[in-house]
Amino acid sequence: MRRLVLNLHLAIALLAGAFIVVLGATGSILAFEPQLDRLLHRDVSYVKPGVRVLSLVEIGDAVARKYPGEPVVAYLRSDAADLPNRVILSRGIVSVNQYTGEILGVRTRGQTFLGVVRALHVRLAAGEAGRLVLKWAADGLLFLLISGLYLWWPAKRMRIRGSMGSPKFWFDLHSAVGIFSFLPLLALAASGTILAFEDQLASVLGKPPDSHSVQVKPPQVGSAPRPNATEITPDEAVAIARRELPDALPYRVQMPGYGGLYVIALEYMDHRIAGDRNSVSIDPWSGRIVAAKLAAGLGFQQRFMTANQAIHTGSILGTASRIAAALTGLLVPVQAVSGVVLWLRRRRTWQPT
Amino acid sequence: MKKGIAAFVLIALSALAADLTGNWSGSFTVEGGDHDVPQRFTLRRQGKSLSGSGGPDAGEQYPIENGSVEGNEATFQITTGEWKFTYHLRQLSADRLAGDLKLESVNDSRTAKVSLTRVQGD
Repeated sequence: MRRLVLNLHLAIALLAGAFIVVLGATGSILAFEPQLDRLLHRDVSYVKPGVRVLSLVEIGDAVARKYPGEPVVAYLRSDAADLPNRVILSRGIVSVNQYTGEILGVRTRGQTFLGVVRALHVRLAAGEAGRLVLKWAADGLLFLLISGLYLWWPAKRMRIRGSMGSPKFWFDLHSAVGIFSFLPLLALAASGTILAFEDQLASVLGKPPDSHSVQVKPPQVGSAPRPNATEITPDEAVAIARRELPDALPYRVQMPGYGGLYVIALEYMDHRIAGDRNSVSIDPWSGRIVAAKLAAGLGFQQRFMTANQAIHTGSILGTASRIAAALTGLLVPVQAVSGVVLWLRRRRTWQPT
Repeated sequence: MKKGIAAFVLIALSALAADLTGNWSGSFTVEGGDHDVPQRFTLRRQGKSLSGSGGPDAGEQYPIENGSVEGNEATFQITTGEWKFTYHLRQLSADRLAGDLKLESVNDSRTAKVSLTRVQGD
């Protein structure tokens, strides 16, 4: 039995190993994607905190002075004092100092290094075929973890002994790294597999009526513009939304020219799971709330999938779990290298002399 | 004779293109994705320019930007927020449009296949 498990462990590692290394290495980078993105675009990513934050109308006016005639698609509010507000235009995402109105710059849409990393992690940057390969590689990783635990159990090696490069060193390295990364890697592999098979799972469990959240008020189409009437401002729309959800902070304001209604997205900062899944839709002419989607109304399936995603991205416990996810991903190449060395040495000992 | 055929083809193509005005519905499938995303457009053609709106359904519509028509091919863009959608569609028949879609956000770029049919009775 042990020999069979070892041979299967070897065979699956050789088949899926390279893809699992891609998943691990790219996953380590993606665990800190927002931070890395800011690091790579420092000039448009930081502001010096000031005293008074400008209103959305004032920020919109500052953008209009720089890019006249270009309508605002949405406002993205800063979630930290030293990070700028952003304004979405058709040309790209404009970073604005929310204390002074200074335009820091514009990020145009298109593929970047982090986009390539994400494409590699999700689909090997190779469309449907790549996505399929990675789905099964994640399943292979699950098998490697379980079979690895079975193989590790009798000796239970947790320390690295032997001189650097010796057979004992490689064996102990593979055993120790394997057991210490077992639980976080199991969590990442299992959550990744659930994400990869999300649609199939949904078809088994039954798709929820709304894939984002639950409507607590019936949606209505916004009323038509009236003669001599003026639209409410984005600041007024935010104030209306905050009256509906007083403890939540608005982080995104979609303008009515793009979608028909003001859509204010709000986040409960103290809720780790689905805290940002609230939105209030407001008629721009009457100021009436026509729909509200609240995280509190999410069903079990949606909460489960949201929690699963938070586990996979490492965001579930904040920075600590992001660091754990990144380090775990980096250990995958170590396991791959030590595993290959062990396999090559094993082959050599089998060669007839 | 050849000139006559060429003129007929040109007239036929321009007639097809003129038919772009109206309501269209269908879906796109992103390369590497495994489900369809619904689409609904209201197109208005004026000469070589194309305007109107589009989105996932009739209730959620975004303005068409940079729309143009050349022969039986239409190109336009829609900005929904972080994502910008650039469509290159070809009119295959009076009631069918199909083509490519490029989806771009900051950091990301993907492609998709689009298929639309005219909404009857609108």
